[in-house]
Amino acid sequence: MNIYVCIKQVPDTETKIKLNSDNSGIDTAGIKWIMSPYDEFAIEEALRLRDKNPGSTVTVLSAGPARVVETIRTALAMGADNGIHIETPESADNNRAAKALAGALKKEPKVDIVFTGKEAIDDGAAQVGQLTAEYVGIPHVTVVLAVEYGATSLKCKREIEGGAFEMVETPLPALIAAQKGMNEPRYASLPNIMKAKKKEVKALKESDIGTSDADQKIRYKNFQLPPAKQAGKKIAGDPATQAKELARLLHEEAKVI
Amino acid sequence: MTWQTFLFLPVAAAAFGYSGYRFGILFRLMKAHHGKAPMRLDQLPQRITTTVVNVLGQQAVLRKKWVGIMHATIFWGFIVITAGTIEQFLNTIHSSWNLAFVGESAYSALVFVQDFFTFAILFAVAGAFYRRLVLRPEGLGKSKDANIVLIFTAALMVSIFLMNGFHLSSDQPWFQNSLPFSNFVASIITGFGLSPETQHALAVFFKWIHMLLVLGFAVYIPHSKHLHIVAAAPNTFLKHLPREKAMRPINFEDESVTQYGAAKITDLSWKDTLDYYACTECGRCQDVCPAWNTQKPLSPKLIIKDLKENLYKNKTAILAGKTDDVTPVIDNNVTEDVIWACTSCRACEVACPVFIEQTDKIYDIRRNLVMMESRFPAELQTVFKNMEINGTPWAFNNSERANWSEGLSVQTMSQNPEIDVLLWVGCAGSFDDRNKKVLRSFTSLLKKAGIRFAILGNEEQCTGDPARRAGNEYLYQTLAKANIETLNRYNVKKIVTACPHCFNTIKNEYKDFGGSYEVLHHSQFIAQLISEGRLKPSKGLDETVTFHDSCYLGRWNNVYEQPRDVIKSLPSIRMVEMKSNHEQSLCCGAGGGRMFMEETIGKRINIARTEQALETKAGIVASSCPFCMTMMSDGVKTKEMQDKVKVMDIAELIDQATS
Repeated sequence: MNIYVCIKQVPDTETKIKLNSDNSGIDTAGIKWIMSPYDEFAIEEALRLRDKNPGSTVTVLSAGPARVVETIRTALAMGADNGIHIETPESADNNRAAKALAGALKKEPKVDIVFTGKEAIDDGAAQVGQLTAEYVGIPHVTVVLAVEYGATSLKCKREIEGGAFEMVETPLPALIAAQKGMNEPRYASLPNIMKAKKKEVKALKESDIGTSDADQKIRYKNFQLPPAKQAGKKIAGDPATQAKELARLLHEEAKVI
Repeated sequence: MTWQTFLFLPVAAAAFGYSGYRFGILFRLMKAHHGKAPMRLDQLPQRITTTVVNVLGQQAVLRKKWVGIMHATIFWGFIVITAGTIEQFLNTIHSSWNLAFVGESAYSALVFVQDFFTFAILFAVAGAFYRRLVLRPEGLGKSKDANIVLIFTAALMVSIFLMNGFHLSSDQPWFQNSLPFSNFVASIITGFGLSPETQHALAVFFKWIHMLLVLGFAVYIPHSKHLHIVAAAPNTFLKHLPREKAMRPINFEDESVTQYGAAKITDLSWKDTLDYYACTECGRCQDVCPAWNTQKPLSPKLIIKDLKENLYKNKTAILAGKTDDVTPVIDNNVTEDVIWACTSCRACEVACPVFIEQTDKIYDIRRNLVMMESRFPAELQTVFKNMEINGTPWAFNNSERANWSEGLSVQTMSQNPEIDVLLWVGCAGSFDDRNKKVLRSFTSLLKKAGIRFAILGNEEQCTGDPARRAGNEYLYQTLAKANIETLNRYNVKKIVTACPHCFNTIKNEYKDFGGSYEVLHHSQFIAQLISEGRLKPSKGLDETVTFHDSCYLGRWNNVYEQPRDVIKSLPSIRMVEMKSNHEQSLCCGAGGGRMFMEETIGKRINIARTEQALETKAGIVASSCPFCMTMMSDGVKTKEMQDKVKVMDIAELIDQATS
């Protein structure tokens, strides 16, 4: 099987976000970059599928500036076989990234299945997976917890609202967007880390696949940091007064009820 | 030359030949190991002294009084009796060969001592049997092997008495009165009224019984745990001399190395093998192991025994050079739960009378599990990732590292490199709320004493200790090298830290990577400041304090007294010791990377230790380690004693008593 995984490099979860000078994005100086955690589930699933089907390969793709090659290497260290980096600008939006990934996938001789995370933890948009599938022209299933692999189709267990699940069947090739709980991603072994350093990562430019600034649907401006957390309020009085006051505050100040 | 000569020579040759063949196999097995261990032949005078003191002098064995005396009796007895056995062999080969050339009085003395020890050994063997069969201490366990050895020993002594008894009663040699115990046996034999010829024949008969028992013993030893009589002395000679030790580094630059850590028994080193050979399963290590004593499956004794069994099980494949056929070291007995239960407290190594280094094996096995197979407790993955990304085992951003010092105007090295000493804060002091307070107190002390100091701020990263102890040597080296680069760039000479784990790592383990500094633990530094009069604890504290020894300060670095001196400097304080203290102290449960792992099997170690602290009725449990602080505080809270008992760092005690 030719298995593909689309991944995204995101700031580490402990990053203290600062805005850049014109508020069009975040200040990337000093940020430690990691692989978006949902993509780790996607890679783990791909590796397990490969190991059950001898002769299969796992290829990892990522669109972004030059630094994302580092995250592709992390995926190679986990055990992926090949890497493809499509160089896109820092400000590329979901549509442009999806088109770039789809363009790279379409250049591949045969795609049997594509995995990705259900969303990236930086913008939390949950767009690129579905868009990529559309641009490639294959079905997609998102928020997937478990997959039953058949010869020509897949049965996916996906999470839906209200704590319920639904089963979705799709023909292959298809794109699967992984939800947390699908598996336990592995920690790269040292021999694999060493091997990953030597593996070649194929470099593609946007011009190679025909995407450009024209595919950018979103222009970013006026980013703002969330307001600082305010101190808690203690409501005094007897239980009845407290309840009344709480209801009033929730209604009038917080406007949630 | 008599018939005895012609019978003895082939029998002895066969016995010693077979025994030698078995020892040859043991030696070849040892040599077939490819893990690296240093051949420690430095500091020869010290090695000779320690061997004389501990082997001939039985010092380490005698740390346990009654068992020690029993063992020493058997050991010393065997040495003098072996002189007699050699004489007996010579005498059998040629009737005129004996040790009489040493002179009449010396010979009389020798046979007297032999006679005395023959009796004393019987007495000691009886004591040993009583211990094994009646008292049955838990650490000893059941051992058929041990019973066989004791029966062998008793039979040897009985055969000597019977041989001597018949010899004395029939031949009345000139030294007869030098053997009071044998003479007593002879006097009983005389009462049977046997003819002199019969008595003489029985003397020869029991001599042969004794010789055959000796030869049988020689054949039995290499199969048995009694092998320690051969391996203990070299193991003592080659021991790690100072208490301080560093874990063995791996050279990741060496591309010929493809196996990291121990997957198979042969991945360990020849010295590990000598350790198994030296082990006589006395159980002293198991008796003091915090894991074993809280119902974890790890026993330092059993792991040595199990590794030895694994070695013997794979003997054929190893000797044939078929390493692929050697079965993994993780098996039915040495499970992952065993390997991950160790807190690296080294109580076992300190207790071992033959200086076995149990922890080396455990940590080599962890290295394989982590680096080669990615098999480890799930919670460690987050810890490793945090360390990789943010240089701390906890989920914090490194840019917040100096936040603990807010309002204290502590300078960083980049602001002011003109200092007397660098304060190494450590991750616990930087990010853990309780330990931040300790650092604030220690900083206050440094200021009161007028010390010029600075911190590295966000240039400091975790020393790598939790990664190294958890088997991730690669991650450890990445962090260690980065820290050493920073320390060397600022040309740091002297470092003080309130964390014994950082202290041990920077002091003892950074040397292997180009980092040599004078490193002091804050207990040492504060003790020094007090003795120099730069800190004067004046406010009395009407409290009883008990001090909890940190393993990495105590057993790893031999620092026991300075923290106690610091506490005792407080006016009107009363100090009490817990049941286990100093070298025998019980670990808090957080070492060896256990701080970051769940403890799901058995009783929690910190509770066991807290119970010891509460038994003292002290109002303050003093600690000198951030991990111990966390574990003991949690323990006191679990026991719902936080209103009566406070856990405090020694720096906090001194800070509130000084102005």
